[in-house]
Amino acid sequence: MRRFLLRLVFVLTLPAILLAVWWAASDSSTDVYWPPLRTILKTFPDVWTVERLRTDAVPSILRLSAGYATAALVGVALGTVIGSYRRVRAVCEPVLEFLRAVPPPVLVPVIMLFAGIGHTMKILVIAIGCVWPILLNTVEGVRAVDSVMAETARSYGVTGLARLRHVVLPSASPQIFAGLRQALSIGIILMVISEMFAASNGLGFTVVQFQRGFAIPDMWTGILVLGLLGFLLSVVFQLVERRVLGWYHGLRATTRRSR
Amino acid sequence: MTFVKGQGMLDVRGLKKVYEGSGRRVEAVRDLTFTVDAGELVCLVGPSGCGKTTLLKCMGGLLTPTAGEVLLQGERVTGPPPGMAFVFQEYGRSLFPWMRVGENVELPLKQKGLSRSRRRELVADALRSVGLADAAGAYPWQLSGGMQQRVAIARALAYEPQVLLMDEPFAAVDAQTRADLEDLVRGLWRERGITILFVTHDIDEAVYLGERVVVLSASPTVVQEQLKVDLPDDRDQLHTRVAPRFAELRTHVYEQIQAAKRGTPRDAPEDAVKTDAPPPA
Ligand SMILES: Nc1ncnc2c1ncn2[C@@H]1O[C@H](COP(=O)(O)OP(=O)(O)O)[C@@H](O)[C@H]1O
Ligand SMILES: [Mg+2]
Repeated sequence: MRRFLLRLVFVLTLPAILLAVWWAASDSSTDVYWPPLRTILKTFPDVWTVERLRTDAVPSILRLSAGYATAALVGVALGTVIGSYRRVRAVCEPVLEFLRAVPPPVLVPVIMLFAGIGHTMKILVIAIGCVWPILLNTVEGVRAVDSVMAETARSYGVTGLARLRHVVLPSASPQIFAGLRQALSIGIILMVISEMFAASNGLGFTVVQFQRGFAIPDMWTGILVLGLLGFLLSVVFQLVERRVLGWYHGLRATTRRSR
Repeated sequence: MTFVKGQGMLDVRGLKKVYEGSGRRVEAVRDLTFTVDAGELVCLVGPSGCGKTTLLKCMGGLLTPTAGEVLLQGERVTGPPPGMAFVFQEYGRSLFPWMRVGENVELPLKQKGLSRSRRRELVADALRSVGLADAAGAYPWQLSGGMQQRVAIARALAYEPQVLLMDEPFAAVDAQTRADLEDLVRGLWRERGITILFVTHDIDEAVYLGERVVVLSASPTVVQEQLKVDLPDDRDQLHTRVAPRFAELRTHVYEQIQAAKRGTPRDAPEDAVKTDAPPPA
């Protein structure tokens, strides 16, 4: 319990200091675009009512989840195939390198052409942007399965789907999670960008609306909400990761100790 | 010489393995012929790098020989046979760190399609046999090296193989643990009547454990000699290792290995393939 409290203090100290600095520095500001934090925080409860969260935050989060989940599924599935077969890898690698180099936001106008401006477009943009780190990390992780483990599995008749499920994917999971983590931050960025182009709701849409209507403190509250959302998602991600990769962290801690 | 325990469980005939790749050609095993009878515990001893692992992987169906063949009960081995279990040298990399000890032992049994209750029975029994009944819930990396190798042995036992192939299983554990594990293997062998092929580079270990010792030459590898170990069945670390007969046998094996290093099996591989040479008088 004491250690938990101590950690909480560590976690909260820097944000508290930054907020205090922001508060002090902006307190006497008369610049319209740079309102005092006091004003922003006062506006916050008025803007972010339950109703507003339902109409704007929820759709954004749903689209992000759908895009992210699609990317995770496709990335892991394709990555496993590409990582498992040397031939497939030789064929796919140049194409992958090219596609990865295309910045996903430029795809928004293109995707709008054939997927319209609805949910599908936004989910597609998020999925296409998120898939690369997941895919490439999965390929690396699947390739790096230890040769002794692979032979052990083979000698005990663990092949096919069982091998995939019990050996290949768990062995690649630390790498896959590294990809998923990168993809999460990319996903949040693309969620906002896709809503700035063409949308009728969502967090990105709301921020742009406020900016166009010169509701500057309201716009700032939107930015705070986005920051909080990102933080929350990262906390959730960490909880999941710690659960799934518990063995990995334990293993690493023991090998470090024994050195 | 005849062996009372049975006939030809494993036959290695004219086995040759050449690794080819990236312009390099390594002849790991030149020409090996020997037999392991049912219920025998045979030790293969040879210098490091002479192709022991290669031979064992060919026997276990993990590698395809360049020439020759391996027969398990008269049937040619083309892939890992269900009646064979492997204990690898690198125990740390052979257990899956994301599975608990019990799950590691159980995985091959699931693959065999055994019922849940049967699996549980086999896992518990195997872990008990190696003295790790309480460790089922631990992760392998929470255990010492010797305990990890015990888990690997338990996994092999639970698989209920006819033949157990062990590749220098104790090369990386400390001397005391090693002595305990050697006794464990002999005990299990006597208890369960499995055929065991035990590979080692340690002459003492080979003589202490084996019913028979197959001495391999240095690379390019052929069988230098085969030797029956006529020590009593009841062996223990304290007395067996100081018995005069033990000293004679280990000296003989040592001389054979020295001869193999000096000798030129390259010129006369046929001569080196002796079978069942009598033990020194
Ligand atoms: N995959 C491989 N590719 C090429 N050469 C190999 C490979 N595996 C082993 N070798 C070579 O084959 C020889 C025998 O190796 P190995 O069977 O591991 O010997 P041992 O187990 O007796 O120490 C060595 O010279 C080694 O370098
Ligand atoms: Mg070896």
